[in-house]
Parts: sequence; C-alpha cells; structure tokens
Amino acid sequence: MKKLLTGAVLLGASSMAVAVSPGGPNCGWGNMLFAGQSGIVYHFLALTTNGTSGNATFGMTSGTNGCSTDGTLTYGGKAMVQAMLDEFSEDVAVGEGDALTAVAVAIGVAEEDRPAFAQLTHDNFATLFPSESVTAEEVIASLEILMRSDARLSKYVVS
Amino acid sequence: MRPIRALIPVLLLLIAGATSAQPARVADASAAWDSAREEQLWLRGQWLNLLHADGAPGSWRSHADDPRFFLARSGGSDPAAELEATLQALYAPAALGDEHAQCRFVARAHWLQQTLGLEGLPQPDCAAWRTFSELVQASRAVLVFPSYYLNSPSSMFGHTLLRLDPEDSSGGAEYLSFAVNFGAEVDPSDNGMFYAFKGLTGGYPGQYKVDHYYKKIQEYNRDENRDIWEYPLNLSAAETMQLIRHLWELQGINFAYYFFDENCSFRVLELLEVARPGIDLTSGFGISAIPIDTVRAAQRADLVRGKQFRPAKGTVLRQRLAALPPVLHPEVKALGADPARLQSPALQALAPATRALLVETAYKHLRYTQIGAARDPVAARNSFALLRALKAHADVLPEAGPAARPENSPDLSHGSRRLSAGLWREERLDYLSLGLRLSLHSLEENATGFLPGAQINIGNFELRVDETARVDLERIDLVDIISLSPRDRFFAPLSWSILTGLERQWADGSEHRVAHVTGGVGGSWALAPGGLGYALVTGRLEHNQGFADPLQPAAGVRSGLLQHFGEHILQMELAAQKFANGQQRLRATWRHNLRLDRHQALHLEMNWRDQAPRSALAFGLRYQYYY
Repeated sequence: MKKLLTGAVLLGASSMAVAVSPGGPNCGWGNMLFAGQSGIVYHFLALTTNGTSGNATFGMTSGTNGCSTDGTLTYGGKAMVQAMLDEFSEDVAVGEGDALTAVAVAIGVAEEDRPAFAQLTHDNFATLFPSESVTAEEVIASLEILMRSDARLSKYVVS
Repeated sequence: MRPIRALIPVLLLLIAGATSAQPARVADASAAWDSAREEQLWLRGQWLNLLHADGAPGSWRSHADDPRFFLARSGGSDPAAELEATLQALYAPAALGDEHAQCRFVARAHWLQQTLGLEGLPQPDCAAWRTFSELVQASRAVLVFPSYYLNSPSSMFGHTLLRLDPEDSSGGAEYLSFAVNFGAEVDPSDNGMFYAFKGLTGGYPGQYKVDHYYKKIQEYNRDENRDIWEYPLNLSAAETMQLIRHLWELQGINFAYYFFDENCSFRVLELLEVARPGIDLTSGFGISAIPIDTVRAAQRADLVRGKQFRPAKGTVLRQRLAALPPVLHPEVKALGADPARLQSPALQALAPATRALLVETAYKHLRYTQIGAARDPVAARNSFALLRALKAHADVLPEAGPAARPENSPDLSHGSRRLSAGLWREERLDYLSLGLRLSLHSLEENATGFLPGAQINIGNFELRVDETARVDLERIDLVDIISLSPRDRFFAPLSWSILTGLERQWADGSEHRVAHVTGGVGGSWALAPGGLGYALVTGRLEHNQGFADPLQPAAGVRSGLLQHFGEHILQMELAAQKFANGQQRLRATWRHNLRLDRHQALHLEMNWRDQAPRSALAFGLRYQYYY
C-alpha cells in the first residue's frame, strides 16, 4: 500500500501514465518480470507461481475498503483516485464512465445523486484538471470545494 | 483419492438423513463433543471443506500447510481431533479476545453453532473480525476470469479470482469491491532455477489475498492488456457471508502451491464449496485445474447467473479504430504528436461526431502508448491537450457500441483436453495415430473463446500403430506455444513460438526419436478478414543419435498463412532449417480443420519434407474429440 501511494502521489492528471514501475502499483508478477528483468529464468518463475507479489494482504493495510460513510474520501478512496486518475479524468471529460461512478461511490454519493455528480465534475473539468501537472491531492481538494458549493451535493461533504 | 472423495457427499447425505434435523442443545464443550461424536460430524462435507481436507476416512490430508490453521496437533490429518479441539476452544474463556477460536475460526464457529446448537458460549470481543467484516460489506460474489496472456507463462491459461460485491455494485461501484486472489508467495532471494523447481513441486506457499478490485482492473485491463470476463454467482447473502467468514480464517495461512492442480483456480473452487453446502466442484480436478474449466465447473453446479465483459485498453482502442473511417487513421498518430492539428481546416471541416471520435481515438491511442513507460512530459502535455479537446467534443461524441461478443466468451470454447485418432499414409506405409492432449488449443482449431492467433499446448502425446500392430511413439510436445499478434499502423507486437519435446526425425538413412527445443520470433500481419500471415526466424537445438555428434544447433525460418472460413480453418506453412553439421531440412505443411460441433473436429493434414537422404510425403485424417 505504501508503495502504491508513493507511486500514485506522483501522478498528475496526465500522469496517467505514470511514474510507478512498469506494470503499475501492486501489479502481478508477470508484467513486472517482463518489463524489468529478462531471461528464461524469469519466464520459469512466472510459469511456476502464477502468483502475486506479496505486498497486499486482506486490504487491512489500507485501513478501509474505501467506501466512505461520513462524506469525505477515506484513505482507501483517495488511494483509488490516485491510482485511477487517468481513467477518472477521461470519464470527467466525457461526462460518464465507471471510474467516475467509482469515485462517486467512494465519496458516498447516493445513486440518485450520481448524475448530478457526473454533471458537476464534467462542467468543472477545467477547475479539476487545470494542467497536466495537477496532483491527485489537488484534484480531490478541488472536488471537495466544488461539492461544498453545490446545493445537491454539499450534503456529502462534512465541514 | 478424488473419485473416493466424490462418493463422500452421497454417504454424508445418507448419514445426515439418518440423524435428526433439529440440532440438539448442548451447553458445554464435552456435551458438544458427545453430540458431535454421535453424528460423526467430522465426516460431514462442510467440516471437511472448512479444513480443506482431501482423501478418505483414515487417510485425510488438509491442503492447508500451516500449523496455525489447526487447533489440534494432528488437525491436518485428523478431522475428528480437530473438531474436538475446536469445540474445546470455542468454550475457552472470553478474555482471549481476538485470539479466541470464535474470533479466529468464525466460519467453523458459525457452522458448529448452527449444527450442534451450542449454548452458553463465552462472548469474546472479536474486534478485528468485526472490522474486517464491516469493511468487506459484501452480499454477492462474482467469479472473475482474466483472459489468456501468452506473454507470461503463469497467465497463459488465464486466471480466476473472486470478487465480493456489496448490494449496490453496478457500473463502477465494484471498483472498490474486494477481490480474493490465491497466489504463491515467492521468496525473492531464491535463485532462478530454484524458483522453477519449487514452484512446480509445491515448494512455495500460496496464500489467499484480498485487495481492491480496481487494482485488478489496472493490472489486467491496462498493464497486461487482458480482457476480463466476469461471471456473477447466485450465492445468497448468507452463503456469501460464510465465504467471508472462511476467508478470515484463511488470512495468512499457507497452502502448498502447485502450478498444475492446486493453483489459484482450484483454491477459488474450494471457497465456493464452503459457501454453498453440498456442491462438489473440486473432485474433477485431479491432474490439472485449468482456470476456464473451473469456471465451467461453477456453471455446471448452477452457481453462475450471467457474464459480463470488461475490455482491455487495447480492445477498446481497436473498437474505436474500427469505428473511425480508415482515411482518418493517419490522423490518430499525428494528433498524438501534435494536438494543434485539430485546428487545421481539414479536421475542422469534419462532421462534429466524426471529429469527436477522432479526438477520443487519438487520446486513447496516446495513452495506450504510454502504458508501462516512464512519464514523458511531451506525451503528458499532448495527452492533456487532447483530453481538453475531448471535453469540448463530449456532447457530440457518438455512443460506443458494446465491445463484448458474448458468443465468443471463453467458457464457450472447446474442451480443454483432446483425444484423437487418425489414419495416415506415409510413403506407402499406413498407420494409425492415437493422441491425448492435456491442454489446450492449437492455431488451426475452433477459435471460439480463445485469443486469435494463440496456440497454447502443454502435454501433447501421440502414439502410432502400424500394420503389424507395433506401437511406437509418434511425438511428445511438452510445451508448444505460438503467439501470433498482427502488426499494423498502431500495434507492433512481436510474434513468437516455443516448442519442446520428442519427435521423429530422419538422419543417416534411418528414423530417430529426437529431443529438441525450438523457438522462433518474428511478425504477423492481418491479410484478409479472418486471415493472418506470419514469418518467424527460428533456432533449434536437437539431440539426434543419427548425427555423428548428437547435439546440434540449427537456424531457420518458418512462414505461413492461417485463414478462417466459418467452420473451416486452413493453415499452410513452409519451414527451412540448416544445422551446424550441414544437414538441411525443408518442410511444407497443409492443415485443414473442420469443426463438427463445439467438441468435435476433423483434421486433414499433409506434410512434405525434404530431408536427407530423400523427400517424403505424408497425409492423414484425424478425428478430434474435446472434453
């Protein structure tokens, strides 16, 4: 998890592609092997393990499943936004998509308010993503400010 | 062992039928044990499943390879002793808190409570378990199959994991669901060859892991560019809860990991057996558990209630490219390099919807090229410019069609194992061939549910029987993989092949069984709809007693065409090799595969070879049955 964060914090909107190791944070063996180390030995390694790198156990390290009950994004929810910023920004630009819904769910936005959430973020794309060097933390902060001043969505942001 | 195990549920049903349905009320550990002994409770399928016990009375063995999973010293091999110890521990003083058996072994406790009607249990505070169960918050489960991935042998057969969904889990909400994955825990300090040996022989422990599903989406859809098929299960909320309880018991517990049978997919089935009492999913997987076969086992047990498709990034990009007029394809890359081109009169003159699709495609392509790459400031700036253009075009962006073809889902592929029988004639010599292939799929076979251009065969054995009824080895292919990914303007993957085993060859005027390893690398290209051409440079190492010096390397080329016409598939191939000792081989092969139905095919093959001392022609017809 720590690795995910240190990697993910570096992401900007454009980062999208990422300063983390090839294969992405918490990626399974196969990709990391092929990207970072070459040779038949590592093919055999992957062949025989079908495993994952042992850095994620039972989600407990994140302290939460990311679903907020009190309005603000939890640690787990922020980690997701950081990791999925690429997908999130594209969904915001288009105005719909799974990553956008996932962020709404992570914030705790009820199903009936999710269209309003999609509209708000889409309309304020330029505020959320002012440049390609914006960080996930900045996006989350802007999102909270936007929601706070939205009649329908302010109830999801505790002061 | 396993066929015996298959009988056990039947026996248990008889036992269960003979005993009373109402749990007796028992108030302490010894009364509970008396009651359990009366009913021989340790022989119940649910108890054996909770212990991951395999075998038969008298010879039980738990797959769990970890003393922390057992309360009795002999618990791994003695389900009765473990039951007695568990009942004792359930009545231990509540002050043990999280270490109490009621907190550690919540699924066992739940089942015993229900079955024996335990009363007067201490009430320990299971804070850690409570936290976990509140985090998971799941009432449904989904069996997830990330598709075949030839670039990693660990994933070439696909993979399965479970996803635990809350009630509200549609369209994005599942990103935060927990994914349950079983994988090996590798010690990175081991040296390479040691890894391979330990992995195949169970030397590495495997563990269940739980993590957010969005990480799996990234890992498979993005990093490995694999499509994901999701099979929602019809487990009830109560069944899902028992699965979660059991998962808690398994936290940090080691299992021996075997690549072929006791692998990720087998372990997922074991979880499902715990969730739904009375189903037997695992007994059919004595030799190997191929992931897609475990999906089919769940379907046969009526656990699956649908399927959903989550396309890889590359799949989405291809779909957009297919929708974009070909004349605009050059602009896709050009816009990625210079987004300002969008202001050019030619592009401004496009219909708004077409321009929107072009912008979206260009953006997706640029992002696709950056997967796995270090951050490039120019690409980031251009991506951002295209993203802003996409925002500006959002209102006129055409709706993308569905990327999935449910009729081509992997569960609908032909059976994983193959039996075959053929009639052959080779230079006036007639013979029969009998074949068994343990897995999985060849290029010329019915490609439904497989990656196009992928051949994944492990363990192909073929015997020949000649006119005098003499039986001889025709060939053994231990590993036989071909990956043909077409190259075009947007994608430039390498194609490659690896084949190792025993086969017949001719040298020094006679026939020999030779051991070899042969690899190739090159490219392939889509020629016509349903058609693929390929060319590979090959290298080979062969051990042939017909050579003066038996171990000889060779270099060569192979090139061919693969064409699908409905149920007919044709493959033509030419190959040439030259050995270090000067020997040369030329080969031409023509294969015609006719699909009869999903699990049957006829295969016509012609082979011509020019190999010292002369050339020879062989042809044959083979019937293939998949199961």
